[in-house]
Amino acid sequence: MAKVLMKGNEAIALAAIKGGVDAFYGYPITPQNEVPEYLSKHLLANGKVFLQSESEVSAINMVYGAAGAGARVMTSSSSPGIALKQEGISYIAAAELPCLIVSVMRGGPGLGGIQPSQADYYQATRGGGNGDYSLIVYAPETIQEVADTIKESFDIADYYRNPVMVLVDGLIGQMMESVDFDKPIKERFLPEKDWATNGTANHPGRRNVANSLQIDPNALEQHNIHLQEKYNLIKKNETRYEMINFDDPEYVIVAYGTMARICRSAIEMLNKEGIKVGMIRPISLFPYPEKAFDEIPKNAKGILCAELSMGQMLDDVLIANNGRHKVGFFGRSGGMLPDPEEIVDAIKNFSERVVK
Amino acid sequence: MMKKVTFLTGYYGSGKTEVAMNLAIQKEIDVIVDLDVINPYFRTREMEAFLSENGIETISSDRDSKMHLDMPFISKKIFNPLYNEKKRVIYDLGGSDQGAKLMRQFDDYKDMDYDLLVAINIFRPETDHEDEIVKLINRIEGTSGFKVTGLINNSNLLKDTTLEDIQKGQIVVEKVSKKLNLPIAYTSYWNEIDDTGFNVSNEILKLKLYFRKNWF
Repeated sequence: MAKVLMKGNEAIALAAIKGGVDAFYGYPITPQNEVPEYLSKHLLANGKVFLQSESEVSAINMVYGAAGAGARVMTSSSSPGIALKQEGISYIAAAELPCLIVSVMRGGPGLGGIQPSQADYYQATRGGGNGDYSLIVYAPETIQEVADTIKESFDIADYYRNPVMVLVDGLIGQMMESVDFDKPIKERFLPEKDWATNGTANHPGRRNVANSLQIDPNALEQHNIHLQEKYNLIKKNETRYEMINFDDPEYVIVAYGTMARICRSAIEMLNKEGIKVGMIRPISLFPYPEKAFDEIPKNAKGILCAELSMGQMLDDVLIANNGRHKVGFFGRSGGMLPDPEEIVDAIKNFSERVVK
Repeated sequence: MMKKVTFLTGYYGSGKTEVAMNLAIQKEIDVIVDLDVINPYFRTREMEAFLSENGIETISSDRDSKMHLDMPFISKKIFNPLYNEKKRVIYDLGGSDQGAKLMRQFDDYKDMDYDLLVAINIFRPETDHEDEIVKLINRIEGTSGFKVTGLINNSNLLKDTTLEDIQKGQIVVEKVSKKLNLPIAYTSYWNEIDDTGFNVSNEILKLKLYFRKNWF
């Protein structure tokens, strides 16, 4: 297949089909509606399952059920809709079931607005659900990267038996770019889903149960230790980031998704003025690319964390920086997008931006 | 010469709104009507202030929060340009046959002097072949109740577009033109593409991409 021109949300849907999705459950919400719209047409036409549930809560529990039965399954939503799904997400993580959750962020808090935002970083990486669980969270920057990540995320979810979240903002969902859907993805050895609750005919003599209830505190602690070991393995193997223009930079910007796109333009403008600025672009938000911060030169003047929020990834930047450099923050919120000039200005007046 | 009334339609995401903006500015149109009830972002109404500076009136929704509301409100003022003999107007429809449904409200104006142009981008997944495009045109005519009068080759991969891509699109659109006996009104493409030696028998419309910032 040659390159085609796709809207981000359509690309999410088509890439999911290319990734072998068996079933989609969801409930409409702007700005991600083109995902279910596209899948409603193309999944049903190919004998797969598409179901618009009566609410986000039932959608995520349908995902829980279908994932438990061993299907490749996904849901998608936007900020307040993802908030409604948190209980089910925690259950799925606890039961160690693979699935894909797409989150197309809009302005919050509350019902907020429909314009793009990155204010659900905490929601994605810290979870709104209960307990010591983590999602694997990817935040692609271009529609091509969106398509590649979605395709691969089913394999990653299956491999670790863990939900994967692909986190984009409304602009990436709504904008158009050319995409090649046939770019190969990393091959992984995926074991049989011998844990799937797909009927004893498939596993005679053994009863499989998908469950998150553990009454015995000893067993529950052991389960938590097992989950942490898995998350450590994920940290070791699945951390992704890009270092941009990292040639002895005076300042380093840390940004992801749409904000990284804006910062790329700002960096070009700054370089033309002779100010050397590099960028760390986290692609995985969990696991967070802490190691990348070791590459920042000792004499760098500071790190600017730029987000479409009031400062959420900033926590991870401060942890990764570990007191080595001055950290500043630039943020817009509510659906407002900055021009690159605003980032240029923030670097030039870095001292006013310093938070720690 | 553009007619008094031009309706712009096409498959979802084929670039109608950029074409409408450029036609309005380059052909000095008086009014642009945003009939998009499909998209939440990148609608003509976002350009209202800019269009106004260029002497072009925008009609869309009457709601105060129209810019950021995902609701299919359309102002009753959309009929005004039809009653003003001096004003030329472009109606920018939402995508595909669903978007073209809104033309049903113009049933009483069928004898007006109008063009209904279909923008075609062969790099969109459902209009990549002449047979698919013919089907789309049939559906648009069915839901709108109006006859299509012309085609626009707007084949592009946005900033990745090459001259060869436009030529590929031209070949497909010419086939549709022959099959349906419809003229090609324009071949439209980004004004930063080097088009040395490029030649088509119809009019060329060079597009300024008003909705793209330098960072996307």
